[in-house]
Amino acid sequence: MSGPLIELDSVSRTYTTPAGTIKAVDDVSLSLGESETICIVGESGCGKTTTGRMLAGLLRPSSGRLLFEGADVWEKKGKDLARFRRAVQLVHQDPYASLNPTRTIAQTLAPPLAKHKKAHGRAARAAMISLLERVGLTPPADFLLKYPHQLSGGQRQRVSIARALTVDPRVIVADEAVSMVDVSIRISLLDLLHNLATEFHVTTVLITHDLAVARYFGRKGRVAVMYLGRVVELADTESLVSDPAHPYSTALIAAIPEADPTITRTKKRVPLKGAEVPSLLNLPPGCVFHPRCPLSEPGLCDVVVPILGNLPGGRSVACHVALRERQPAAELLGVR
Amino acid sequence: MTAAATTVDRRDVTRLPGPVASIFEFLRTMSRKPVGFIGLIGVVFFLFLAYVAPFLVPLQDQVDVASIYAKPSFLHPLGTDFQGRDVVNQIVYGGGDIITTAILAALFSTLIAITFGSIAATLGGRIDALILAITDVALTIPQLILLIVIAAIFRPTSFFALAVILALLQWPALLRQIRAQVLSLKERDFVEAARSLDLGLMHIIFREMLPNMRSYIVIHFIIAMTLAIYAQAAIMFLGLVPLSGRNWAIMLYFAYNQGALFFKDSFFYLMGPIMAIALFQLSLVWLASGLEDVFNPRLRS
Amino acid sequence: MPVLSVRDLSIDYRTRRGPVHAVRDVTFDLEQGETLAVIGESGSGKTTLAVGLIRLSPRSARVTKGEIRYDDGKRAFDVLSLDPERLRRFRWADCAMVFQAALSAFNPVITIWEQFLDTGRAHGMGDKHKVHDRTRELLDLVHLDPTRVLRAYPHELSGGMRQRVLIAMALLLDPRIIILDEPTTALDILTQRAIIDLLRELRGKLGFATIFISHDLSIAAELADRMLTMYAGRIVERATVDDLFYRPRHPYSVGLMRAVPRVSGALGSVASIPGSPPDLIRLPRGCSYYPRCPFHVDECLQQDPPLLKVDTPEHEAACIRWEAVAAALGSDAEAPVAEKLA
Repeated sequence: MSGPLIELDSVSRTYTTPAGTIKAVDDVSLSLGESETICIVGESGCGKTTTGRMLAGLLRPSSGRLLFEGADVWEKKGKDLARFRRAVQLVHQDPYASLNPTRTIAQTLAPPLAKHKKAHGRAARAAMISLLERVGLTPPADFLLKYPHQLSGGQRQRVSIARALTVDPRVIVADEAVSMVDVSIRISLLDLLHNLATEFHVTTVLITHDLAVARYFGRKGRVAVMYLGRVVELADTESLVSDPAHPYSTALIAAIPEADPTITRTKKRVPLKGAEVPSLLNLPPGCVFHPRCPLSEPGLCDVVVPILGNLPGGRSVACHVALRERQPAAELLGVR
Repeated sequence: MTAAATTVDRRDVTRLPGPVASIFEFLRTMSRKPVGFIGLIGVVFFLFLAYVAPFLVPLQDQVDVASIYAKPSFLHPLGTDFQGRDVVNQIVYGGGDIITTAILAALFSTLIAITFGSIAATLGGRIDALILAITDVALTIPQLILLIVIAAIFRPTSFFALAVILALLQWPALLRQIRAQVLSLKERDFVEAARSLDLGLMHIIFREMLPNMRSYIVIHFIIAMTLAIYAQAAIMFLGLVPLSGRNWAIMLYFAYNQGALFFKDSFFYLMGPIMAIALFQLSLVWLASGLEDVFNPRLRS
Repeated sequence: MPVLSVRDLSIDYRTRRGPVHAVRDVTFDLEQGETLAVIGESGSGKTTLAVGLIRLSPRSARVTKGEIRYDDGKRAFDVLSLDPERLRRFRWADCAMVFQAALSAFNPVITIWEQFLDTGRAHGMGDKHKVHDRTRELLDLVHLDPTRVLRAYPHELSGGMRQRVLIAMALLLDPRIIILDEPTTALDILTQRAIIDLLRELRGKLGFATIFISHDLSIAAELADRMLTMYAGRIVERATVDDLFYRPRHPYSVGLMRAVPRVSGALGSVASIPGSPPDLIRLPRGCSYYPRCPFHVDECLQQDPPLLKVDTPEHEAACIRWEAVAAALGSDAEAPVAEKLA
C-alpha cells in the first residue's frame, strides 16, 4: 500500500469558553504507516489526548483534515464511515470504566462478533477464546463468564484490547492505557500492544506522559513531543532519548526521575526560566515555549512561530535556534 | 492449553444464565438483607392473597341484615360490614383490582419515561428541549388535584382506564432521572467503545445503558406502584370513581360513609383495608430497598 | 536512637468474606532525619501501613498486634496506646501526613487560608495571628506566593501548587516525622522534579525524618536513604537504596527493578512479573510470592520465610533462596538489574 495509512493534516481543535478561546491543538500534522509504532508524549494540557481522539475519529478537528487511506474521513458517509470507525479503535485509560460493569466478558465480546463477523453460538465462543488467548488471558474459558469487577486492572485492559480486536482494526490508539495499571505488569501490556503492531500489522499509537514507558514501547518507532497544543519534536525514539533536539524535550528528559540512584542523583539538569506553564487562554506570542526556554532569542523566538523543520538524521524539530545551528538542543545546552 | 480446558464447559456462553439459577441467585442475595427479604415475603403474600386466594375462598356476597357490623368472631375474624358481609372475605377479594391497576400504571409510566427519557438524552438538541419543557410543566402541576379533576371529568369506567390516567401523572419524575442517567452514561468509556465498534443505537440504549439503569427502573416501578395505590385510595375514598364495590379503597369509602367510625364493633371494617393497604405498601418499599443489593453485581457471590 | 520503632505491626480489615490481612508483622526503625521509602504495588499494604502509623485507618481496620514506639529524645510512647486527646497532639505536632494532592484532599468550598487555620486550630494553635505568620513563613519555604495562594480555592491551583500547599500544611507544627503518600504520582514530569527538589531542600533545612509510600521506584532512587519493599502485606526486603537497586536479594524486588524501564542509558532486559498478587483473605501456605517466583523450590511452601540477613547486616530479605538470586544477578556493580540480566 503506498502512502500513509492514517494522517492528520494541519489539524487544530479550538474550544470557545466563557473565559475565551482555547486552542487545545494547533496545526498538528502526523503521518502514520502500516504496522508502525509511535508515541505521543507531553505533560498535561499539551493536547496529546485531544490529538489521539481526533486520530481515532472521535473528535472532529476545527480545521485541517483527518485522512484514512488517502480519503478525508469527515467527508465519508454511511458504510464508508462505518468501515473507518471499525478500522480505528481506542483503548481507554481507566480499566474500571472501559468495560460495562453489568455485562460478562462474553457478553461484552459477543455483540461486535455477532454484528460484524456474523458469528453466533459456538463460532462466537471459539472466536472469543482465540481472542482472549491472543491477549494473554489464559485459560480463556475461565474468563468468559466473569464480570469486570472480578478481574484485575491489567486483565481488564487486555479485555479492552480483545474487544478492539473483534473488528480487525488497522489502527489502535491507546490513550494512557497503562497509566492506571500496576508498575510490574506494564511491560507485558506494552509488549502485547507492540506485538499487535509487528505480528498483526496494526498501527499502534500510545499516548502517555511517562517518557520511560514511551521509550520502551516506541523503542523501534517514533515519538512526537507536544507542548501547549503543538508538536515540538518528532524523531525516532532512541535519538530523542539520547540526543533531544528541542530545548523542551531536553529539559524534560533531564528532569525525569529515574529508577536508578546513581543516574538520577547525578543527572545534569536543564533549568527552565519560570516553573508555571502558561494558560491555554493566554498563549505567549511566537514560540509558545520561549518564556521558559534557555535558548530563547528576543526578537526571534517571541515573534515568529517556529514550524517543524528537518535536522540531519531524519528528525524534525520546531525550534528556530536548533534549526539554524543545525544541531539538537541537547548539544547546544551541553547536556549530551 | 491443557486438555482439561478444552473438554470442560461446552455451554453457549453468549446466553444469559438460565431462569432457575437466576432465581436461586436472587433469593440468596435477598436473604442477606433482612429488610428486603421481609419485604419480598410480604409482597409475595399479598400477591397470593389478591390473585390466588379468590380461587380458594368462595365469595360471600349475600346481604345479611341480621349481621350488620357484627363483632369479630370465629366465623367473621374481622367482623362484618354495613351489609353483614364478612370483612376478611372482602379483603381477599379486594386486592386484585387495586394491585392490577397499580402494576399497569407503573408499567405504562415506566415505559413512557424510559422511551422519551432515552430519546431526549440521546438525540439532544431541540427534541431534548421539547421533551424537557413538557416534563417540567407536568411536574409542576399538583398531582392529587389534577387526578381529582381528571377523574371527575372523565369518570373512568374500567380499571384499565384508571391505570392510564395514573400513569400519565407519574412519568415526569422518572423521565428526568432516566434522562440524567443516560446523559452521564453516554460519556462513559464503554459506551464510546460501543459506538466505535459500530454496534448501533438500539444496542447502545438497550444493551449498554439500560442494564446500568436497572436498579433505577425497577425501584421506580415499585415506588410508582405505591403512588398508584395511594392515588386510588384517595379518589375512591372521595367517591369520584363509580367502580365496583369490592376493593380495598372502595371499602374505605363505604366504611366512612356508612358510619363505621361510630360503632366500636365496626373498627375492623375501617382498619382492615387500611392495614391491608399500609402493609402492602410497606412490603413494596422494603422490597425496593432490598433490591438495591441485587442490582449491584459486585455484592453478589 | 530511632525516632520511630515499629514492631510486628499487623492490621486487618473486616469484610464480608472474612478479615483481609492487609499488613502482617511489619517491623522497621526510622532514624532521626533519615528518609525511608516503602515501595509496593496495589495490595501490598503500604497505604494501610502509612495511615495505620498515625491511626487514621478507616473503622473497618483493626490493629491485631504490634507496637509503634515514638521517641524524640524528650518523650517516648507507644502510638497505639494513646488516648484520643494525646493522639490528636501526636498527629501533626510529632508526625504529619501529606496525602496525594488530588482535589479530594481539600475542602472545596473554603480558601487555602481557611484550611491552614482549621488545621492549626484542630491541633492546638489557638492564636490566629500566629497561624497566619507561620503559614506565610511555610509558603515561602515551599516557594509559593502567600498572598496569591492564601486567597485561592483549591480548584484554582495547579496540581503542583496543591502538593506544595499540602507539604506546607504538614510542616505547620514542625513535626519530627513526615509521612508522604504517593507525593509525585499523577504529577507532570517537570512538576515532579520540582517537588522532589523541594523535598530534598526542606529535608536539608529542617531535618525531619521522612517515610515515602509509593509504587514509583524513581522517587525512592532520588530521595531515600533506605528502602523497604512490601508484598502481600509483609516486608520482603530491607536495605540501603544502593543495595536494593543494584543488589536486590528478594525475587520480588528483582522483578520490580526489572519491570521499570529507564529513559537514560541502555534498556537492558526489561520484563513484567507474571501473575497477580494473592488474595489477602485466603493467603496460601508458605511464601506468598511463590506462584510468581522464578526461584521457588518446594521448601518455600512450608512456611512464610522470615527476614534473613544477606550480604551486610543492614540488608535483609525474606527469601530462603537469596543466594541463588545473588548468583543470578552476577555482578555487584552499580548497574541496574535489567542490564545485569540482559
